[in-house]
Amino acid sequence: MTAHSNEAQQMRPGLWETINERYPGSMITKDDLVPLAHLSKPLSEARLTFVSSAGVQPRGTMPFDVAHPIGDYSFRRVPSNSSPAGLEIHQIKYPTNGAHRDLNVIFPIERLQELAVAGVVGGLTPNFFSFIGYQMDPARFERTLAEEIAEAVVAERADAALLCPA
Amino acid sequence: MSIQYLKDAVANNDFEKLIRYLRLHLGDGNEAAGRKEIEKAWVEALKLLLDVPPTDRAFILETLERKDAATLAHLFFYLHFYFVKRSGEWIHDGTL
Repeated sequence: MTAHSNEAQQMRPGLWETINERYPGSMITKDDLVPLAHLSKPLSEARLTFVSSAGVQPRGTMPFDVAHPIGDYSFRRVPSNSSPAGLEIHQIKYPTNGAHRDLNVIFPIERLQELAVAGVVGGLTPNFFSFIGYQMDPARFERTLAEEIAEAVVAERADAALLCPA
Repeated sequence: MSIQYLKDAVANNDFEKLIRYLRLHLGDGNEAAGRKEIEKAWVEALKLLLDVPPTDRAFILETLERKDAATLAHLFFYLHFYFVKRSGEWIHDGTL
Protein backbone atom coordinates (compact mmCIF):
# COMPACT_ATOMS: atom_id res chain seq x y z
CA MET A 1 0.00 0.00 0.00
CA THR A 2 1.50 3.33 -0.99
CA ALA A 3 1.60 6.43 1.15
CA HIS A 4 -0.89 8.05 -1.21
CA SER A 5 -3.43 5.25 -0.94
CA ASN A 6 -2.94 5.26 2.83
CA GLU A 7 -4.15 8.80 2.90
CA ALA A 8 -7.08 8.22 0.58
CA GLN A 9 -8.22 5.09 2.37
CA GLN A 10 -7.84 5.21 6.12
CA MET A 11 -9.32 1.74 6.72
CA ARG A 12 -8.60 -1.40 4.74
CA PRO A 13 -11.53 -2.80 2.71
CA GLY A 14 -13.65 -5.27 4.64
CA LEU A 15 -11.93 -4.55 7.94
CA TRP A 16 -14.99 -3.43 9.83
CA GLU A 17 -17.42 -5.94 8.27
CA THR A 18 -15.29 -8.94 9.21
CA ILE A 19 -13.97 -7.87 12.59
CA ASN A 20 -16.21 -10.21 14.60
CA GLU A 21 -15.23 -13.10 12.37
CA ARG A 22 -11.53 -12.40 12.70
CA TYR A 23 -11.50 -11.33 16.34
CA PRO A 24 -14.34 -13.25 18.03
CA GLY A 25 -15.50 -11.58 21.22
CA SER A 26 -13.72 -8.31 20.63
CA MET A 27 -16.88 -6.48 19.61
CA ILE A 28 -19.09 -6.22 22.66
CA THR A 29 -22.60 -5.10 23.39
CA LYS A 30 -23.58 -3.85 26.81
CA ASP A 31 -26.92 -3.60 28.53
CA ASP A 32 -25.67 -1.94 31.72
CA LEU A 33 -24.74 1.38 30.21
CA VAL A 34 -24.05 4.25 32.52
CA PRO A 35 -26.35 7.08 31.37
CA LEU A 36 -24.64 10.18 30.06
CA ALA A 37 -24.40 12.94 32.66
CA HIS A 38 -26.11 16.23 31.86
CA LEU A 39 -23.94 19.30 31.67
CA SER A 40 -24.56 21.27 34.85
CA LYS A 41 -23.34 24.62 33.53
CA PRO A 42 -23.00 26.44 30.21
CA LEU A 43 -20.23 25.09 28.00
CA SER A 44 -18.58 28.50 28.15
CA GLU A 45 -18.15 27.97 31.87
CA ALA A 46 -17.30 24.28 31.74
CA ARG A 47 -13.86 22.78 32.15
CA LEU A 48 -13.32 20.38 29.27
CA THR A 49 -11.13 17.31 29.13
CA PHE A 50 -10.22 15.19 26.14
CA VAL A 51 -9.97 11.39 26.07
CA SER A 52 -8.54 9.84 22.94
CA SER A 53 -7.58 6.38 21.71
CA ALA A 54 -5.14 7.91 19.23
CA GLY A 55 -2.03 6.66 21.01
CA VAL A 56 -0.63 10.18 21.39
CA GLN A 57 1.85 10.82 24.17
CA PRO A 58 4.48 13.31 25.30
CA ARG A 59 7.84 12.70 23.67
CA GLY A 60 10.19 10.79 25.93
CA THR A 61 7.54 8.83 27.80
CA MET A 62 7.39 5.03 27.52
CA PRO A 63 5.95 4.32 24.06
CA PHE A 64 2.63 2.55 23.92
CA ASP A 65 3.11 -1.18 23.45
CA VAL A 66 1.85 -1.57 19.91
CA ALA A 67 3.56 -4.96 19.55
CA HIS A 68 1.62 -6.66 22.33
CA PRO A 69 -0.84 -9.22 20.93
CA ILE A 70 -3.51 -8.50 23.55
CA GLY A 71 -3.11 -4.76 23.88
CA ASP A 72 -1.65 -2.04 26.08
CA TYR A 73 -3.92 -1.22 29.03
CA SER A 74 -2.06 1.87 30.12
CA PHE A 75 -2.79 5.51 29.40
CA ARG A 76 -0.74 8.65 29.20
CA ARG A 77 -1.44 12.08 30.57
CA VAL A 78 -0.94 14.69 27.88
CA PRO A 79 -0.61 18.21 29.30
CA SER A 80 -3.35 20.25 27.67
CA ASN A 81 -0.94 23.12 27.03
CA SER A 82 1.34 20.87 24.96
CA SER A 83 2.34 21.79 21.44
CA PRO A 84 2.19 19.07 18.76
CA ALA A 85 5.97 19.22 18.49
CA GLY A 86 6.20 17.92 22.03
CA LEU A 87 3.98 14.93 21.29
CA GLU A 88 4.32 11.73 19.33
CA ILE A 89 1.95 9.05 18.12
CA HIS A 90 2.36 5.29 18.34
CA GLN A 91 0.03 3.19 16.21
CA ILE A 92 0.55 0.32 13.80
CA LYS A 93 -3.07 -0.54 13.08
CA TYR A 94 -3.90 2.44 10.91
CA PRO A 95 -1.98 4.92 8.78
CA THR A 96 -0.49 7.86 10.63
CA ASN A 97 0.72 9.85 7.62
CA GLY A 98 -1.79 12.61 8.26
CA ALA A 99 -1.06 12.72 11.98
CA HIS A 100 2.65 13.14 11.31
CA ARG A 101 1.89 16.17 9.14
CA ASP A 102 -0.59 17.68 11.57
CA LEU A 103 -1.36 15.89 14.82
CA ASN A 104 -4.56 17.90 15.16
CA VAL A 105 -6.27 15.72 12.55
CA ILE A 106 -6.53 12.96 15.14
CA PHE A 107 -5.66 14.68 18.39
CA PRO A 108 -7.00 18.23 18.03
CA ILE A 109 -5.10 19.74 20.93
CA GLU A 110 -4.52 23.12 19.30
CA ARG A 111 -8.16 23.42 18.28
CA LEU A 112 -9.21 22.77 21.88
CA GLN A 113 -6.68 25.33 23.13
CA GLU A 114 -8.20 27.83 20.69
CA LEU A 115 -11.71 27.08 21.91
CA ALA A 116 -10.57 27.76 25.46
CA VAL A 117 -8.89 31.04 24.51
CA ALA A 118 -12.00 32.11 22.59
CA GLY A 119 -14.19 31.32 25.57
CA VAL A 120 -16.27 28.74 23.75
CA VAL A 121 -15.36 26.41 26.61
CA GLY A 122 -14.62 27.63 30.09
CA GLY A 123 -11.21 26.01 30.22
CA LEU A 124 -9.26 22.82 29.85
CA THR A 125 -8.20 20.30 32.44
CA PRO A 126 -4.45 20.38 33.11
CA ASN A 127 -4.11 17.05 31.31
CA PHE A 128 -5.79 15.20 28.51
CA PHE A 129 -5.77 11.40 28.32
CA SER A 130 -4.62 9.06 25.62
CA PHE A 131 -4.35 5.32 25.06
CA ILE A 132 -4.18 2.95 22.09
CA GLY A 133 -7.34 1.44 20.70
CA TYR A 134 -6.05 -2.08 20.10
CA GLN A 135 -7.48 -3.80 23.18
CA MET A 136 -8.49 -7.42 22.69
CA ASP A 137 -9.74 -8.06 26.23
CA PRO A 138 -12.85 -5.89 26.66
CA ALA A 139 -13.40 -6.98 30.26
CA ARG A 140 -9.85 -6.04 31.22
CA PHE A 141 -10.22 -2.77 29.33
CA GLU A 142 -13.34 -1.86 31.30
CA ARG A 143 -11.91 -3.06 34.63
CA THR A 144 -8.57 -1.29 34.35
CA LEU A 145 -8.03 1.35 31.71
CA ALA A 146 -11.55 2.75 31.53
CA GLU A 147 -11.86 2.94 35.32
CA GLU A 148 -8.43 4.52 35.71
CA ILE A 149 -9.11 7.17 33.11
CA ALA A 150 -12.52 7.89 34.63
CA GLU A 151 -10.90 8.41 38.02
CA ALA A 152 -8.23 10.64 36.50
CA VAL A 153 -10.87 12.71 34.71
CA VAL A 154 -12.78 13.19 37.96
CA ALA A 155 -9.56 14.12 39.78
CA GLU A 156 -8.94 16.89 37.25
CA ARG A 157 -12.42 18.28 37.97
CA ALA A 158 -13.67 18.06 34.43
CA ASP A 159 -17.22 19.24 33.77
CA ALA A 160 -17.31 17.69 30.32
CA ALA A 161 -15.28 15.12 28.43
CA LEU A 162 -14.74 14.94 24.72
CA LEU A 163 -14.28 11.28 23.77
CA CYS A 164 -12.59 10.63 20.47
CA PRO A 165 -12.00 7.15 19.03
CA ALA A 166 -9.13 7.04 16.59
CA MET B 1 21.32 -24.52 -1.15
CA SER B 2 24.50 -22.50 -1.21
CA ILE B 3 25.07 -19.16 0.41
CA GLN B 4 25.28 -17.71 -3.09
CA TYR B 5 21.87 -19.23 -3.83
CA LEU B 6 20.45 -17.38 -0.81
CA LYS B 7 22.26 -14.15 -1.64
CA ASP B 8 20.88 -14.27 -5.15
CA ALA B 9 17.42 -14.82 -3.69
CA VAL B 10 17.88 -11.75 -1.51
CA ALA B 11 19.12 -9.73 -4.49
CA ASN B 12 16.12 -10.82 -6.53
CA ASN B 13 13.70 -10.34 -3.65
CA ASP B 14 12.72 -13.99 -4.05
CA PHE B 15 10.70 -14.49 -0.91
CA GLU B 16 9.69 -18.07 -1.73
CA LYS B 17 13.27 -19.32 -1.90
CA LEU B 18 14.16 -17.62 1.37
CA ILE B 19 11.14 -18.82 3.33
CA ARG B 20 11.65 -22.34 1.99
CA TYR B 21 15.19 -22.28 3.33
CA LEU B 22 13.92 -21.11 6.70
CA ARG B 23 11.25 -23.79 6.86
CA LEU B 24 13.82 -26.43 5.99
CA HIS B 25 16.22 -25.11 8.62
CA LEU B 26 13.62 -24.90 11.38
CA GLY B 27 12.00 -28.18 10.37
CA ASP B 28 15.23 -30.15 10.17
CA GLY B 29 14.87 -30.67 6.45
CA ASN B 30 11.10 -31.05 6.41
CA GLU B 31 9.40 -27.99 4.95
CA ALA B 32 5.94 -28.79 6.31
CA ALA B 33 7.39 -29.38 9.76
CA GLY B 34 9.27 -26.10 9.53
CA ARG B 35 6.09 -24.20 8.80
CA LYS B 36 4.49 -25.77 11.84
CA GLU B 37 7.52 -24.99 13.98
CA ILE B 38 7.33 -21.29 13.09
CA GLU B 39 3.64 -21.22 14.00
CA LYS B 40 4.31 -23.19 17.18
CA ALA B 41 6.84 -20.65 18.40
CA TRP B 42 4.45 -17.77 17.83
CA VAL B 43 1.56 -19.55 19.54
CA GLU B 44 3.77 -20.29 22.54
CA ALA B 45 4.73 -16.63 22.78
CA LEU B 46 1.09 -15.58 22.48
CA LYS B 47 0.02 -17.95 25.26
CA LEU B 48 2.45 -16.29 27.66
CA LEU B 49 0.94 -12.85 27.10
CA LEU B 50 -2.79 -13.62 27.17
CA ASP B 51 -3.15 -12.44 30.77
CA VAL B 52 -1.05 -9.36 30.06
CA PRO B 53 1.56 -10.08 32.76
CA PRO B 54 4.06 -7.34 33.62
CA THR B 55 7.04 -7.49 31.31
CA ASP B 56 10.35 -5.66 31.19
CA ARG B 57 9.60 -3.28 28.34
CA ALA B 58 12.49 -1.01 29.26
CA PHE B 59 14.83 -3.96 28.63
CA ILE B 60 13.12 -4.71 25.33
CA LEU B 61 13.26 -1.15 24.07
CA GLU B 62 16.83 -0.67 25.27
CA THR B 63 17.91 -3.89 23.58
CA LEU B 64 16.26 -2.88 20.31
CA GLU B 65 17.87 0.53 20.45
CA ARG B 66 21.37 -0.47 21.52
CA LYS B 67 22.03 -3.75 19.76
CA ASP B 68 22.87 -4.07 16.10
CA ALA B 69 20.47 -5.65 13.66
CA ALA B 70 22.57 -8.79 13.19
CA THR B 71 22.61 -9.46 16.92
CA LEU B 72 18.85 -8.95 17.04
CA ALA B 73 18.42 -11.31 14.10
CA HIS B 74 20.50 -13.88 15.93
CA LEU B 75 18.39 -13.36 19.04
CA PHE B 76 15.28 -13.87 16.90
CA PHE B 77 16.46 -17.38 16.02
CA TYR B 78 17.27 -18.12 19.65
CA LEU B 79 13.83 -16.95 20.67
CA HIS B 80 12.27 -19.24 18.09
CA PHE B 81 13.97 -22.28 19.58
CA TYR B 82 13.29 -21.07 23.12
CA PHE B 83 9.55 -20.96 22.54
CA VAL B 84 9.52 -24.19 20.58
CA LYS B 85 11.25 -25.85 23.52
CA ARG B 86 8.76 -24.33 25.95
CA SER B 87 5.92 -25.83 23.94
CA GLY B 88 7.07 -29.27 25.06
CA GLU B 89 7.08 -30.55 21.50
CA TRP B 90 10.70 -30.75 20.43
CA ILE B 91 11.21 -32.32 17.03
CA HIS B 92 14.96 -31.90 16.81
CA ASP B 93 17.37 -34.71 17.50
CA GLY B 94 19.73 -32.61 19.60
CA THR B 95 19.36 -29.69 21.97
CA LEU B 96 20.49 -26.07 21.96
